[in-house]
Amino acid sequence: MAPEFSKRLGAALLAATCLTTTLAAAQPALAHGVLRLDESAPGDIDPATGNDNADTILSINLYDALVAPKQGGTGYVPLLARSWSTEDGLTYTVDLRDDVTFLSGNPMTAEDVVFSLDRMKALGQGVSYLFDKVESAKAVDAHTVQFTLSSKFAPFVAALVRLPIFDKKTVMDHLEPGDTQMGDWGTKWLSQHSAGTGAYSVVSHNPQEETVMQRNPDYFLGFDEAAPDTVRLRYSLEPATVRTLIAQGEHDISSQWLPPEVMSALAKGGAQLLSEPAAGAFYIKFNTRKPPLDDANCRLALANAFDYASALKLVAVSKDISQGTAPTGLIPKGLMGADDESHTLKQDMAKAKEYLSQCKYTPSDYTLDISWIGEVPLEERFALLLQANFTQLGFKAEIRKMPWALFASQVTSPETTPMISQVLNTTATGDPDALLYNMYHSSAAGTWASPEWLKDDQVDSLLDEGRTETDPEKRDAIYHQLNDRLMALAPSINMYDAQEVFAGSTRISAPALSDPEKKFPLSPFGFTFRLIDVKD
Amino acid sequence: MPPALRAVLGKLITTLIVLFGVSILIFCIARIIPGDPVRIALGPNASQDMVDALRAQMHLDAPLVTQYVYFLRDVLHGDFGMSLYSKRPVIADIAQFLPATLELMIVAGIIMVGVGLPMGILAARTRDRWPDHLVRVITLLGVSAPGFVWAVVLMLIFAYFVPIFPIAGRISNSFQIPQVTGFMLVDTLLAGNLAAFADAFRHIILPACALAVTGIGQSARLTRANMVETYRKPYAEMAQSYGFPAGRIARRYVFKPSLIPSLTVIGLDFASMLGGAFLVESVFAWPGLSRYGVNVILVKDLNGIVGTVLVIAATFLIMNIIVDLLVWWLNPRFRLGGRS
Repeated sequence: MAPEFSKRLGAALLAATCLTTTLAAAQPALAHGVLRLDESAPGDIDPATGNDNADTILSINLYDALVAPKQGGTGYVPLLARSWSTEDGLTYTVDLRDDVTFLSGNPMTAEDVVFSLDRMKALGQGVSYLFDKVESAKAVDAHTVQFTLSSKFAPFVAALVRLPIFDKKTVMDHLEPGDTQMGDWGTKWLSQHSAGTGAYSVVSHNPQEETVMQRNPDYFLGFDEAAPDTVRLRYSLEPATVRTLIAQGEHDISSQWLPPEVMSALAKGGAQLLSEPAAGAFYIKFNTRKPPLDDANCRLALANAFDYASALKLVAVSKDISQGTAPTGLIPKGLMGADDESHTLKQDMAKAKEYLSQCKYTPSDYTLDISWIGEVPLEERFALLLQANFTQLGFKAEIRKMPWALFASQVTSPETTPMISQVLNTTATGDPDALLYNMYHSSAAGTWASPEWLKDDQVDSLLDEGRTETDPEKRDAIYHQLNDRLMALAPSINMYDAQEVFAGSTRISAPALSDPEKKFPLSPFGFTFRLIDVKD
Repeated sequence: MPPALRAVLGKLITTLIVLFGVSILIFCIARIIPGDPVRIALGPNASQDMVDALRAQMHLDAPLVTQYVYFLRDVLHGDFGMSLYSKRPVIADIAQFLPATLELMIVAGIIMVGVGLPMGILAARTRDRWPDHLVRVITLLGVSAPGFVWAVVLMLIFAYFVPIFPIAGRISNSFQIPQVTGFMLVDTLLAGNLAAFADAFRHIILPACALAVTGIGQSARLTRANMVETYRKPYAEMAQSYGFPAGRIARRYVFKPSLIPSLTVIGLDFASMLGGAFLVESVFAWPGLSRYGVNVILVKDLNGIVGTVLVIAATFLIMNIIVDLLVWWLNPRFRLGGRS
């Protein structure tokens, strides 16, 4: 090698090393009072169009609804409302607080509530389906709103949890041209700004990278002393990245989508495990239109052959915390109509064989087609477990991986819907109607929530009754009956009642995610940022 | 008209024709992928009325040809439609995410050329001696593992075991840099904030290295092979026999002609980073266009897919033109035309 060349190469390497070392040493100071967490992309800060977990976390912190789920209990408590009442179940009158202002300083009034409902219904996205039965809303006076329903709809108050209230004046000031009389209803502006009464406001938002929020100093409910000043919600971090960031002290709460083994490794490294009931369950869904699954006895045989204990082991994060708890029926625990723990479901091969003997099909004549969604690797393990369980009964079983988009397309017809599929279903409001109607009512078949294609008059009738009965005790009885009927039909297997688990740094304290007395019955309300303490 | 200008104009016209063809192709393919984009976007609980309304709003209820005419009309007005994934105009998404990926590609490209070419030169000049063998091992390692594997390896070494580099995002939270160009390194300099520039540079090092590793291996191997071949040419042997200094022979007589075939491959490697950066962007939480492109495919966001693919295709074509021009400039046989 020529000496001149060697010298140049050496000098270049030395310069590169010096530059890298200098830059590496230039560590920025950590900002105080900052909470950092992550969720799946994209984040949508307009609660009238968003629907996913990240969107709901943003919604409950940037906006307030009229009611909220009760912390440490069940049911709903007033938030922007003071109280509500109904005489006939068709007209609801809601009295509003008169001491709440928006970020802009504008007072929150009945006009804002009416505008928020109209906007939600006009855009027809997100959770607007929850308000299909609401015909109209009118401002009786500055702090009284009257909702008129087209027919009785018992889950109406529960649905109000998902009606965030917008600052009408601010939104109207930012309307852009659009197809309607109200232009774009402010969607363009609200995709980058917030206009709520919430505890936090948007500083910056990139739907694929992160949303930065800061405290609203005038928030009407105040803050915990150590509540974060700034919150950074990051999107779609890879498990390896989250693990490294938490280990480095550069991240505070992981998303629930971290694989159990990564959570477990983080816990062993000193991270705390946080959890929240998901108000839903992970279901194995049988296509009830395809033989041999069109015979209830065959389905019952498979349901009894399922190894619930092994399924729970697959989602266990530690000895004490798991992403699922033992199911007691097809209605998850915590919801109206759910059975208590004395009904915990267990594998029972003797019963399975008994049901199989009553099935009109011969198992060896059929190959069960078990699908799993490619984007959710955990489902492959469940598919293998199902295959192992069902072959014990003499069925042949084939496992098929498919992308979500293909699955969503196939479930639109019973002929193309896989014989067995796996779906995590949760309720948006905490009311059983929001979970069960779209799974089991015959009119709702043909979506990824309902690949069972169940058609049973008694189930339809109970679901309709559950919607119209406003007496809570009678409703509970209706849903208990529904649970019994569903268990007798076995259109699905409840693999486990879902529980969301998160890995958290020791820098934070989140009672709503760790203390059973302070947890919310509905996810993701544990991510109410003002209730999380950050130690600096 | 000067030949260079004629060549550029010819290339631009071809590029526009190819882009038009790509737009038809991707427009049709996006609609053939299984899955109802509207149902996926609105969720299972949305009523059929809601689904139908959004489908009509997106013209999805019209025949394919009519849909394409609407699409073309909007594109000519600079509008790629709304993204069902981000709920924003696709053009806004591209404007936000493309600079991040381009910045990553450019830094990775500089690393690829800055490390790959010297390694190739070193290997060629020390043929069959230990530096050559060492370069061969390193380049083999580089080309045998994809970028995302290097991403995880680099993260483990330089962020987990020896935490000297950050691993997520483009800049630390403590810096608030006004966006001017979308290129963080440029924007920090425009803001006159050298500490922020250093921080942004630290953030880009690992993802850029991970993205560049395969290209480094390829460019080093190619440069070495071409230079070894050129060393055997009579004019190079003649220069050696005259006793010219080794550095001069390498630089003037061997490296320059050897660079031309390498340049074509390096140019294509550079352009292919745009599509291949997805996993590296995911590992390092880099908010770029590649990651966006994969996400829009997964949720069958038709406008997002078409917009992203067109931008990637345009980048490929532009890179192709640049490489052709560079080759034309470097190669006297092309530059001097009929006189060769």
